[in-house]
Amino acid sequence: MATPIIMPKFGQMTEESAIVQWLKKEGDKVAKGDILFTVETDKSVMDVESFEEGTLLKIIVPPRVNVPVQTTVGFLGKPGEAIPTVANPVPAAPKATTPTSRPIAVQAGQPAPITLAVSAQAPSPITPSPQPVAAPALFRISPRAAALARQCVVDPAPVKGSGPLGRVVESDVRQYLQSLGYDKLRVSPAAKELAAREGVDLLSVTAGEEGRISVENVRRAIAEKPKAMSKMRQIIAQRLTQSFRDIPHFYVTVAVDMTDLIAYRNQIKTAGAPHTLTDFISQAVALSLREFPAVNSSTDGQSTRWHSRINLGLAVSIEGGLVVPVIHDAGRLTLAEISAFSKQLADKARAGKLTPDEMSGGTFTISNMGMLNVENFCAIINPGEGAILAVASAIHQPVVRDNKMVIRQIMKITLSADHRLVDGALGAQFINAVKTKLEDIELWKRLTS
Amino acid sequence: METFDVVVIGAGPGGYPAAIRAAQLGASVAIVEKEQLGGACLNWGCIPTKALIAAADTFAKIKHAQAFGITVTGASVDYAAMIGQKNRIVSQLKSGVKQLLTANGVKQFTGTASFKDRNTILISDGAAIGARKVIIATGSTSAMPAFLPRHARVVDSRGFLDITKLPASMAVLGGGFIGCELACMAAHLGVKVTIVELLEDILLLLDPDVRREVRGNMEKALGIRVLTGKALEDFQASDNGVTAKLGDETLQADLLLCAVGRRPVTDGLKLDKAGLKTDGRGFIETDNCCRTSVAGIFAIGDVTGKVQLAHYATAQGLAAAENAVNQKHREHVTLVPNVIFTSPEVGTVGLSEDEARRQNRAVNTGKFRFVGLGKALTSGETLGFVKWIADAATGQLLGAAAVGPHATELIAEATTAIHLEATVKELGRIIHAHPTFNEAWMETAHAVHGNAIHAPPKRKG
Repeated sequence: MATPIIMPKFGQMTEESAIVQWLKKEGDKVAKGDILFTVETDKSVMDVESFEEGTLLKIIVPPRVNVPVQTTVGFLGKPGEAIPTVANPVPAAPKATTPTSRPIAVQAGQPAPITLAVSAQAPSPITPSPQPVAAPALFRISPRAAALARQCVVDPAPVKGSGPLGRVVESDVRQYLQSLGYDKLRVSPAAKELAAREGVDLLSVTAGEEGRISVENVRRAIAEKPKAMSKMRQIIAQRLTQSFRDIPHFYVTVAVDMTDLIAYRNQIKTAGAPHTLTDFISQAVALSLREFPAVNSSTDGQSTRWHSRINLGLAVSIEGGLVVPVIHDAGRLTLAEISAFSKQLADKARAGKLTPDEMSGGTFTISNMGMLNVENFCAIINPGEGAILAVASAIHQPVVRDNKMVIRQIMKITLSADHRLVDGALGAQFINAVKTKLEDIELWKRLTS
Repeated sequence: METFDVVVIGAGPGGYPAAIRAAQLGASVAIVEKEQLGGACLNWGCIPTKALIAAADTFAKIKHAQAFGITVTGASVDYAAMIGQKNRIVSQLKSGVKQLLTANGVKQFTGTASFKDRNTILISDGAAIGARKVIIATGSTSAMPAFLPRHARVVDSRGFLDITKLPASMAVLGGGFIGCELACMAAHLGVKVTIVELLEDILLLLDPDVRREVRGNMEKALGIRVLTGKALEDFQASDNGVTAKLGDETLQADLLLCAVGRRPVTDGLKLDKAGLKTDGRGFIETDNCCRTSVAGIFAIGDVTGKVQLAHYATAQGLAAAENAVNQKHREHVTLVPNVIFTSPEVGTVGLSEDEARRQNRAVNTGKFRFVGLGKALTSGETLGFVKWIADAATGQLLGAAAVGPHATELIAEATTAIHLEATVKELGRIIHAHPTFNEAWMETAHAVHGNAIHAPPKRKG
């Protein structure tokens, strides 16, 4: 019989999620490992794979509806198989090909549903609760007026209606067209056809040099139409805006002499040690946070919260955006452990396989753009954290040592701190603690041997 | 040293219009030409070949006058007189160009130009002139494969036009439009012609249905042998004629016409002194404003390696002159009609069906054969068809091809329609005079939607 597909629970804190998009249609064959749908959580968008093969018989929960985790969102099975009724308004099941099929209610004790994530509990059917959408103000237009606008390839929405209840009538459209000089527009026949097909308002198209709207001009208008951001970018936008608006950032920069550490790292790398420069920086930051616990805190503006664990976020750039996997309890880890976790998390991030738990709980973030050839930059604090460290490239520069000019590899690091938590002096002490550690080659010899 | 606002190098169909337009815009202009005013087009290309083709077509019409109830006996060809007529036309046009240049105050220099630096042009007679802007319009010349010996019986298109006695038989190496045009002309005048093409077909730039129409008529009506997919080997030329191996076959002819393509002329220009480089094939790269990679130096025509056609060079030349004088950046139009004076004639413009397929672009096509037109029947010219290629979504006319009577003239309507972005629907509504060959465009527009009046409906299924 048909197997329910349930909404997985992605992280410990996740109570409900919404499907962004079904990647399979009803009736599609599904192989093991195929992605059934994508889910939006508060951190990112996740793919949900099928652990069984079969045919997607029924989609119960449409996209963009928040449902509690463990809700049955659809059914998988053989074509024509009976689909259990669920206690919500589901359209009638497709005409069954076998006369014996009959709807069965799903209850606990039924064959186990496919487990998509952490839990194998029997699903409890729940009515999806569509979020109420504010009804747009009613736009009233007569059929003749609408036809005229359509024929002229013009959007009638801005037209002021003079009819009853503000209904737009044909003369309103005519007046509107005249007031905007529609009769002076010169449009090539193909351009008009294209604009009509693509829903481009001819009045919004900028004409070419000779004052005539060509196919090229309409194409530009189409290309310039606003397009929806990807789900990932929407999440990034929302979180960064919230942080930059609510957190009073302040910045402090120091120049770190990385010459010795880079030489040492290259030396042990030839001997097989896997540490990247980021690993050394992570370790230096974790050690410094232990010395300055106030930096490892967060605030909502009313109270401050100290985090007993140092959970280091590492910003990783991936196609189309950015994710921040978290090394949990980095304060307890050795350099070798930090190296191993970082690599594992970065690989998963690039493969799009991070779980929400691996992306949450951060208390401090490092953003390293060293490989991107930058002199210096300031990062935006991750919401829920107190500070972020921006790491720039190590650049060969002339510096003065013992009254002599020498060439050293200088790397600028900039701390962005929440000024509600961290004052200038504390920020300066903290970032200098990081600098001192990175320049202390004896420390690293101790930590790596 | 005399200094000019604009110096044009080369007085072909790109160079002399550029010089005149620059002068019209108030610039002081010099033009440097190493051979003849009018360039390859006027002297050894478009014009002389069309003069000979017109003569050959007239002879062909006379031979077939019987169909109209006209009996002609004793018609014969005096090829030397045809060449004389051709030369008179060329001289007349050439003196026309000279007068136009003079009337516009363009100073003319004869000699080979070379760059001394970005702003100085040396002329082979020793003179040096200063140039605020330079337009390079040096054109192209026939490419001659290295394996061909230098011999009086091996000619390129330019050499062919100077022969005053037609050979009894002729081999044409290269099935491009130059080779095919001269092959048709010679065949009309009674020469036994064999075309040898290395690629799988002749006139490969055309859609298969179009070239099938041309090749069929060349083979069947004109008796031209077309050998494709074959390389010429063991080529020998002697005073008795030329011989070559083609696979197992031995090819013999009185003359070999080599028409394998044209290479850019930049020899002696010393482009490097101006900081200019050519691409791998020797062409000077330009943008659609005809600007080269060096500020103030423009290039137009065949030497830019885009479309090697006289009218394209002219369009580029006018844009280059305006941009050079007015410091503007006007792009020249890139919709170029292509005309081929074979028998039957061909005209194409815009997107071809082949190209649409390569671009994976959804198009609809319509085709209408001339045999359905009253005018074609009255003229006794029923071979061929026209076709439209239109965007499947919007009906925008994207390309057209005409093959058949007056195809080289007919393509003008299609060019205008495509340039102005007309749709199939619009074109089908335009009233076309009856009875004319032009009606074919309207019928074809209807045919795109399967609604041609003068063609039977397509069978369903």
